[in-house]
Amino acid sequence: MPPTNTAPIIEINGINKSFGAFKVLNDLSFSVAPREKLALIGPSGSGKTTILRILMTLEGIDSGEILVDGDSLYQMKRNGKLQPADDAHLHKMREKIGMVFQLFNLFPHKCVLDNVTLAPMLTKGVSRKDADHHAMELLDMVGLADKAKSMPSQLSGGQKQRVAIARALALKPKIMLFDEVTSALDPELVEEVLNVLWKLCRETDMTMLLVTHEMGFAHDFADRVLFFDRGRIVEDGKPDEIFRHPKQERTQAFLKKIIAAGHRV
Amino acid sequence: MGQWAGYLQLILDGAVVTIKLTLMGSALALVMAFLAGLGRLSRFAPVRWLATAYIEFFRGTSIFVQLFWAYFVLPLFGFTLTPLQAGVLALGLNVGAYAAEVVRGAIKSIGKEQYEACTALNFNRWQGLRHVILPQAFVLMLPTFGNNAIELLKASAVVSLISLSDMTFQAQVVRAQTGSTLFPFLTILILYFAIACVISFAIRGLERHLTRGLDGIRS
Repeated sequence: MPPTNTAPIIEINGINKSFGAFKVLNDLSFSVAPREKLALIGPSGSGKTTILRILMTLEGIDSGEILVDGDSLYQMKRNGKLQPADDAHLHKMREKIGMVFQLFNLFPHKCVLDNVTLAPMLTKGVSRKDADHHAMELLDMVGLADKAKSMPSQLSGGQKQRVAIARALALKPKIMLFDEVTSALDPELVEEVLNVLWKLCRETDMTMLLVTHEMGFAHDFADRVLFFDRGRIVEDGKPDEIFRHPKQERTQAFLKKIIAAGHRV
Repeated sequence: MGQWAGYLQLILDGAVVTIKLTLMGSALALVMAFLAGLGRLSRFAPVRWLATAYIEFFRGTSIFVQLFWAYFVLPLFGFTLTPLQAGVLALGLNVGAYAAEVVRGAIKSIGKEQYEACTALNFNRWQGLRHVILPQAFVLMLPTFGNNAIELLKASAVVSLISLSDMTFQAQVVRAQTGSTLFPFLTILILYFAIACVISFAIRGLERHLTRGLDGIRS
């Protein structure tokens, strides 16, 4: 359980985001405590993936403010005035955050080991020897130490995703974002990825934000669940409250649909 | 038969010049292709304009005119070039303009998700380009670079017009001296084709070498 008396590691204050005429996020606010495991659920197009992408600085925001670890993500102080963040500021902020994508986004021209070592060597100046050593520990943790020299094209989807998790962990982020990391996998490969997430959940004190359609897993994994619809948080509570006793009609309707589609809740 | 051996030697000397021109011109074209191709993708508008101006100008004017400028007009401004230098300059700049679009197209064809992985792993723009985007894009550029190199080889015949004794120039010399058209021009036809084949095989070999174990980024 996350402690309640510490300052939030992520604070989102009234952010808005549109893609053309489509309003994805509508005056959205919430905060995340350090070490908290948060599941973001909701129908597609509800804005949950967009939040992760905004936190990873893959999308900007139209208005509002985001604080990560006390610092504004998209603004910086210069000569006492707030200004839009420059590359150096974004670079500093990204050090705290890692992300795993739905489609893995591995580097196809690099072997598994190099996929994991490239970022620490380039962005933190870690030596090849140390990077290799740490990468092998991470690959061992995700059960792929024997695939270190394989190319991504030789791996299954579940293996690729586990490499992608190891790659993101290699930078030792405080916050990890998981964007529908099992959605592109064949059903029989989902579990091996969820097992890794489960391990991270129990054995590390990273803050984790998980966008998922695996409701059963979200229930077991999360300290807190946010239900999104049309760019707003409709319901925010403990997994048991959201999944067993949803208060809002829209949450109830969504969960009913999900169960009808064969997902365990 | 003995006299033909002498003339053949003359043409082979020309072939050496043609090969030299092709190699040096291709090297310059490659540099220009990356400079202008990356320039067109720059965040800075003046860099994009400069790259676009170069590409449009050198694609839009004849190699023949460019060569004459390099050799006959530049001296009027105080830049005197040897025929070989003028040839390499004109061929490299001309073919580089075409190849720049190949560089740009290949880079743009690399999926957004690769750029996003670079951002998520906190690479700066140059690191992402150098270690992730270009290695994948280069494989896509190779086949068209092969075309460009062969185009350059064939275009190199224009240097005979500024008295550089390349293969075509030597063939004309042989024709003038012997009165035979068939022998010199059949010989250089075969030689041009042979050199082009070497370029094709070299590019294909390089492509195979670079795509070992790769999947999903081959076109």
